[in-house]
Amino acid sequence: MSAGWGAARLEVSTLDNLRRPPPPGPGDRLRVLLVEDDPGDAFLVEELLAEAAAPVDLATATDLASALAAVEDVHCVLLDLGLPDTNGLEGLRAVLRANSTVAVCVLTGLEDEHLGNAAVGEGAQDYLVKGKVDGVLLGRALRYAVERKRADDNARRLREVELRQAESARLERGLLPKPLMRSAGPRIFPVYRPGRHRALLGGDFFDVVQTSPDTLHLLVGDVCGHGVDEAPLGVALRVGWRALVLAGVPDAAVLPSLEEVLISERRNDEQFATVATVTVDLAERTASIRLAGHPPPLVINGTEVRLCDVEPGLVLGVIPGMDRPPTTVPLGGPDWALLMYTDGLIEGWATPEAKERMGVDGLCRIVAGDDRSRIALPELPAWLLGQAEERNGGPLADDVAVLLVTP
Amino acid sequence: MELSLSTHDFGDHTVLEVGGEVDVYTAPRLRERLIELVEAGARHVVVDLSRVEFLDSTGLGVLVGALKRLRAVNGTLKLVCAHERLLKIFRITALDRVFALYDSVDAAVAGGVATPDQTT
Repeated sequence: MSAGWGAARLEVSTLDNLRRPPPPGPGDRLRVLLVEDDPGDAFLVEELLAEAAAPVDLATATDLASALAAVEDVHCVLLDLGLPDTNGLEGLRAVLRANSTVAVCVLTGLEDEHLGNAAVGEGAQDYLVKGKVDGVLLGRALRYAVERKRADDNARRLREVELRQAESARLERGLLPKPLMRSAGPRIFPVYRPGRHRALLGGDFFDVVQTSPDTLHLLVGDVCGHGVDEAPLGVALRVGWRALVLAGVPDAAVLPSLEEVLISERRNDEQFATVATVTVDLAERTASIRLAGHPPPLVINGTEVRLCDVEPGLVLGVIPGMDRPPTTVPLGGPDWALLMYTDGLIEGWATPEAKERMGVDGLCRIVAGDDRSRIALPELPAWLLGQAEERNGGPLADDVAVLLVTP
Repeated sequence: MELSLSTHDFGDHTVLEVGGEVDVYTAPRLRERLIELVEAGARHVVVDLSRVEFLDSTGLGVLVGALKRLRAVNGTLKLVCAHERLLKIFRITALDRVFALYDSVDAAVAGGVATPDQTT
């Protein structure tokens, strides 16, 4: 460091340490917090548990305030509903607000047993009537309360996962179209895989529209930035693009219009999109390619593989109205294939050990390799995804879309 | 997947040194820090990416957001980025035409005010 540098503040991000105890195994001792203001009743609970030799470590709080301070460290709370600093079910609500994962058993008197039922309705696992329990029953009630809480939590989590999956499936249908092709048109082989870590889909999308016997329009794109809203915006861009192409809007006007759609539809101005668009002249065997921040397609002719040399254009959504001139690329012999992809395919590790990402160069090497020449073109997208995952040493972090077009 | 952030002043520039991986998980911390800096009055910010091993599109989004935020208050954002690995990302996205890129903090601070086209 040179002179003139102020004091550096260093921070390292780590996950919050989880203070809550893990759920007890079958042989583990239960950690129970007894919340009871009456010393006589508290002593009785201790004696009952000791007599039955219940595997319970008991801590005691005599009011709600001190109970709330200790509620993070236990598996179960045994809660008297008649505390001095709260009354009735308020104490239960406060405990569950402080720790929504803790099991709760409430203690009621003989005359207010109805409160026990109400407590179960508000989230307690069980209630016990003072003077009506022995040690064995008490120990078992605590253990069952913990098990029931865990089962409830698991069921709730499962339900949340199911809802997310249903939502993802709906969005996936929007992101992944049915190509709009003429009969006897070229063949399209797409593969899409959501990323490893995402609860919801990301924003990778593609589309294919054939507007005349000799004209095929292709789109591959990726909405970037600010995680959550990517997939709906991807759907909007795909459908917007499809409408522009079907309306016969000249190629030069499509990306500027798509950029306007992006800017007007996005929720956050950190969001942008990368896209590659290709107009294939099937008779001339040429591809007119425009890139907006997107990695370039590959042309495959048998064992020959070429990365399309296209001038990079700016991503959509940063500076509107930028020109992205097309580059026309010959597709070569009659058995050409065009490979388009999103950057999820190339952002994985080059090998599980190396600190290098695969990159466009790595992709070219794989496609040009001897192993690939044995793979039939229809299988190529799925095979490439498998190769990328294998080199990455596991599933890829980001979404991947790969699209192969061949006559 | 660690991110380290450290801030120091360098003349009238505020240098934010970023290390590790800037991805969908860590980018929110980078965003928060950049917002804090601007809110605390920093106007000429240098983000030093020399020790960044990975920058994904979410991270790029954060940098674009910071650029817009600083432009809105007549500030500047400069990036220090010497590694080919990262430069490639800026070239593919053509964001090398939007950001002022330098190969060292000294060069960034000495480089004066470089402002390419106006962003939205």
